[in-house]
Amino acid sequence: MNFVILACALFALGLYGVMSRRDIIGVLASVEVMLGSGTVLLVGLSSSMTAASGVRPDPGALTAIGVLIIVVAAAEAAVGLAVLVSVARILHTTRVDGLTEVKG
Amino acid sequence: MTMSGQLAFWVLAAISVLGAATVVFGRDVTRMVLGLGAFLLSVAGWFLFFGQTFLAVAQVFVYVGGVLVLVLFAIMLVHRAEGKDPALTSRHDVDIAAVALSVFGIMVVSLRSVWPRMTEGPVPTSTTQVSEQLLGAYLPHLEAAGLLLLAAMVAAIVIMGGEGE
Repeated sequence: MNFVILACALFALGLYGVMSRRDIIGVLASVEVMLGSGTVLLVGLSSSMTAASGVRPDPGALTAIGVLIIVVAAAEAAVGLAVLVSVARILHTTRVDGLTEVKG
Repeated sequence: MTMSGQLAFWVLAAISVLGAATVVFGRDVTRMVLGLGAFLLSVAGWFLFFGQTFLAVAQVFVYVGGVLVLVLFAIMLVHRAEGKDPALTSRHDVDIAAVALSVFGIMVVSLRSVWPRMTEGPVPTSTTQVSEQLLGAYLPHLEAAGLLLLAAMVAAIVIMGGEGE
């Protein structure tokens, strides 16, 4: 039960970081914190919970879903960091306040 | 929970909270990356704590070995483009804290109903069970994940090389 509160707190901390950070790298790192705490919550809940019917979820399926989350998070990080470097190269800033126009 | 289990829980909790706090409040970019590394390692620790060995190893390989190095490379490239380390600034605000606290409250209240159904010991998973699931019922998902990774790789190359120098 404790880890549920902890994971929720970490998620909220990451959310605070996403909203308060003023540079892209900080926002991306905070998103990673949110993703990590979400995965911990999912894995923790499903590996230590019994369904209402009394049947425990298949732990293999749980790990398979966890692997898929890690893959999605890795893809997100790759594209996000590519955008970061590209923005720094073109606009010479990484502050989110400086990104006011969308152009191809 | 046994005594050692309690100890592992609190050590992991301390590392994850400290790492996440460094990521969110840190002013130095190198320290922020170190904090992120500590947090990601603690996530791997949580997977071990819940008996998911395969996930823990995947987490260390993908995040600590891959994403963290990628972040360091990105910081170095930004340094080259800007001529200095990226500045880390934050706008700490009561409104933002209120939103984050509300989300925390909503999550805890909505998850409260599952607490009575939680058992003490998590079930450990063997790699055989994982592979049976990944190459059985979850095969389409695995293929889709591979496709997503390929798309992300192509997208990253296009975004990075789009402008040229």
